[in-house]
Amino acid sequence: MSQKELQVIQAIEDEALFTFAEFDPEAAERVGYSDYSYWGSTLKIFFKNKTVIFFLILMASLILFATIQPYLPNQKSSTKIHVSPVTGHPLQNQEPSKEHWFGTNVIGQDLWARIWSGTRTSLLIAIIVGIWEVCFGIFIGAIWGYVRQLDAFMTEAYNVINNIPTTILLMLLAYILRPSFRTMVIAMCATGWLGMARFVRNQIVIIRDREYNLASRCLGTPTSRIITKNLLPYLVSVIVMRIALSIPGTIGWEVFLTYIGLGLPIDTPSLGNLLNEGRQVMMAPALRYQLIFPAVVLSVITISFYVLGNAFADASDPRNHY
Amino acid sequence: MLKYSLKRLLQSLITVFIVITLVFLLMRLLPEEGYFGDGYDKLTPEQRENILRKFGLLDPWYVQLKNFYSSLLKGDLGKSIIYRPDVPVIDIIKLKIPYSMTFGLAAIAVSLLFGLSMGIHTARNKGRFWDKIWSGYVVFINAVPAAVYLLFIQLYITGLKYKGRSIFPMLFNRHNPRSWILPLISMSLGGIAGYALWMRRYMVDQLNQDYIRLARAKGMSEKQIMVKHVMRNAFVPMAQYLPASILLTISGSIYIESLYSIPGMGGLLVDVIQRQDNVMVQALVLIYSSLGIWGLFLGDLLMAIFDPRIRLEKKEGAR
Amino acid sequence: MTEPILSVRDLVVKFSLRGQILTAIRGASLDLYPGETLAIVGESGSGKSVFTKTWIGMLDANGWVDSGSILFEGKDLAKFTREREWLTIRGKKIAMVFQDPMTALNPLRTVGMQIQEALELHQDMRGEQAKARTIEILSEVGIDIPEVRYHQYPHEFSGGMRQRVVIAIAVACNPRILICDEPTTALDVTIQAQILELIRDLQRKMGATLVYITHDLGVVANVADRVAVMYAGEIIEYGTVDEIFFDPRHPYTWALLSSLPQLGIKGQPLYSIAGTPPNLFTDIQGDAFAPRNPNALKIDSVRRPPFFQVSPTHYAKTWLLDPRAPKVEPPETIRALRSKYERYAQ
Repeated sequence: MSQKELQVIQAIEDEALFTFAEFDPEAAERVGYSDYSYWGSTLKIFFKNKTVIFFLILMASLILFATIQPYLPNQKSSTKIHVSPVTGHPLQNQEPSKEHWFGTNVIGQDLWARIWSGTRTSLLIAIIVGIWEVCFGIFIGAIWGYVRQLDAFMTEAYNVINNIPTTILLMLLAYILRPSFRTMVIAMCATGWLGMARFVRNQIVIIRDREYNLASRCLGTPTSRIITKNLLPYLVSVIVMRIALSIPGTIGWEVFLTYIGLGLPIDTPSLGNLLNEGRQVMMAPALRYQLIFPAVVLSVITISFYVLGNAFADASDPRNHY
Repeated sequence: MLKYSLKRLLQSLITVFIVITLVFLLMRLLPEEGYFGDGYDKLTPEQRENILRKFGLLDPWYVQLKNFYSSLLKGDLGKSIIYRPDVPVIDIIKLKIPYSMTFGLAAIAVSLLFGLSMGIHTARNKGRFWDKIWSGYVVFINAVPAAVYLLFIQLYITGLKYKGRSIFPMLFNRHNPRSWILPLISMSLGGIAGYALWMRRYMVDQLNQDYIRLARAKGMSEKQIMVKHVMRNAFVPMAQYLPASILLTISGSIYIESLYSIPGMGGLLVDVIQRQDNVMVQALVLIYSSLGIWGLFLGDLLMAIFDPRIRLEKKEGAR
Repeated sequence: MTEPILSVRDLVVKFSLRGQILTAIRGASLDLYPGETLAIVGESGSGKSVFTKTWIGMLDANGWVDSGSILFEGKDLAKFTREREWLTIRGKKIAMVFQDPMTALNPLRTVGMQIQEALELHQDMRGEQAKARTIEILSEVGIDIPEVRYHQYPHEFSGGMRQRVVIAIAVACNPRILICDEPTTALDVTIQAQILELIRDLQRKMGATLVYITHDLGVVANVADRVAVMYAGEIIEYGTVDEIFFDPRHPYTWALLSSLPQLGIKGQPLYSIAGTPPNLFTDIQGDAFAPRNPNALKIDSVRRPPFFQVSPTHYAKTWLLDPRAPKVEPPETIRALRSKYERYAQ
């Protein structure tokens, strides 16, 4: 025994300390630690990220503004061709001014109004496609995973469809169906759900075969409970992420289709259309604002959704809940 | 290994057959005017019917399919209708493929070089300054539609002048090497981001594996572990998609080729769609959709060489 | 007594987790003597693995040695910061065998290469010579047709065989200390005995010091000379195997032994220790086991007990050994164990 230890012992003179303490079984249980909650941790990690807060505010204000913009006072129509009261000619290619905040385009329409109208159109397409992707993807994925006899067939079918480049499929569908809002939505709905279906299928196979689920089933847990406790939390986070990420994706495809001439009709403003209009006049430096304004708004939207989707995916991954 | 290769070859053949058939049937839905050339509106219904009959389009679908396959086996993809009337499709694309492939392969090389080093660097310095800068780049490239940043690059970088002349010309010219640089860089931006993202992810995955702990306990330095274990293992899953991307360079880049007027395959598909040349559309779609399948086949073989487990194990589920 | 080969004093290891500080090792001390086999036992989370990982500088990135010393060959390993310093120890002087052989090998490199790597690093062997030695080692760890096995990949080996390979890697460089972190937990019972046997043979051949980390007291009784019991990041009792099994003094050791299924009495429920181990995020006052100890004294919640000597080789950290403490008899199962032993000794 070391010198130091002896001193410690001798220093204690209070003999009363050497009597039994009361044993409290509840106190013994209390010392452990388990204050974990999946959603609590997910949200905590998500909101702790300063970049997330920044983009969340940015995105929320953009969406809010795009929605209420037409109801605000002094807003112009997105399709009306403005005419100069003095000369009677259309106000073509007017640079940004007090009257037209973002200027006017080649035929004299107000760019500010067109950008917000375009944002609404593009977001609407993106949200429809996103929701469809999730619903149809889950439906097909559930059948794929649940009906064992179909698994081999569906897997092959998946490989076949997945092997055709999305660009080709999209172009073909858009070509066959003729440009319109509906075509755009149908073409994108036809290609986007694959990934989701495969994800759900894999989850169901895991639910079926993973050992912790097997164990859970052996203990008599009904399938419905396994699904709600083990699959659903995961699925909800994936759904949120998918919709968030499908928005930059869909907007990107819309830009692509418009670029190759298979986009929405010109009289429907969309971010893709606006960008394309801007591209046509971009060689004249004085008119580049017609390209820059839509490009900036479009980039802000796609980046916000992309960052938020990914940040949410990270936050909802239990492996990051250390 | 041989058995596995043969099995995959057969599988791919079947898949190609299914895809081609599906695409062919889908093609029957193409807009009818795409078979007539310029004067569609002036033709009488009888004349239209004659032309359609000439193409065999009024036959029942199974006869069409049979004819289609018999000419396909002879290597005949048909003749252009509007794009360059009566020139065989093969002759048209023969001139265009070299442009697309040269640019495509160069872009893959550049992307691999920069993307992989970027991925390795960021995985090793997770959470540090450069990691954040690079991931900002990856986010930007992945989130913003390529058309947007490619347009701005062309617009502003070609504006840079040295002694009154543009350093980078705005349009491609076969005889001016300086005009090759900007398209090549633009084309590689996406690839760099992609390779960097996946390399970083796979490296981080590998670094968390148990065998890294053993390698460390063995007394290997971090550097040796990176070179001998992590980088190699992280690259294997990426190698699977390499043959596909190499083969798909044949299809060219739609944006780059149209922005810089490169006479390659990427612009071609857009052209023939805009000008409604159905035979060309069909031929190109067939080529592109089967390329992917052969690419994946080669990728699987490559994986089997790298990863000894694949040769033995039964492949589970979908890729 | 001989000089210790490795000597740990008052080691404190902390981790930063979720923005909080966790103290995983709370002042552990231990001496390791040349050629002996020491078993470190304790339940999950008691810090057994972390404790030994500090000897080869392999704490996770969010952990660090806060204070204390680890003396080995005249150097204080606790002061090592740079990789270059650790590379003189790791694998070469102190080697480690991990729990799960299924994931411990790189799936994409041949088994031979993975052993050879260690030889090339520390023994300065190259090419054919290294290969020949690797094949020799493979056969030493009991792998048949080593020439063929050399070229095979880990997935072509069974779990037990893989563990032999992992052991081969560890012993390739004749380390002075071999740490086996639950080497048999992931294996079939029938394979376990073979692996333990193999480790014992190799140790004899090399004259290395062996440290077992385990929660399997059956393994301890079979292989160890001495036992150290860990609880909540502290070594609370150590002694020879006989002393710990038949004359334990710490209430935690009593509880641990009582929960051995082999000691249960037919028809009675198996003993289990009430409560859960303490939260290492909080600052623990006094004896960490006190809240779960039915015989806790008042002083246990105030002051941390020092080591009391039971015999020259046997020490325990409990106030019950203080002369002023009331006499507490060990539980019935422990007493039964002791009387059985005494009868056997006569």
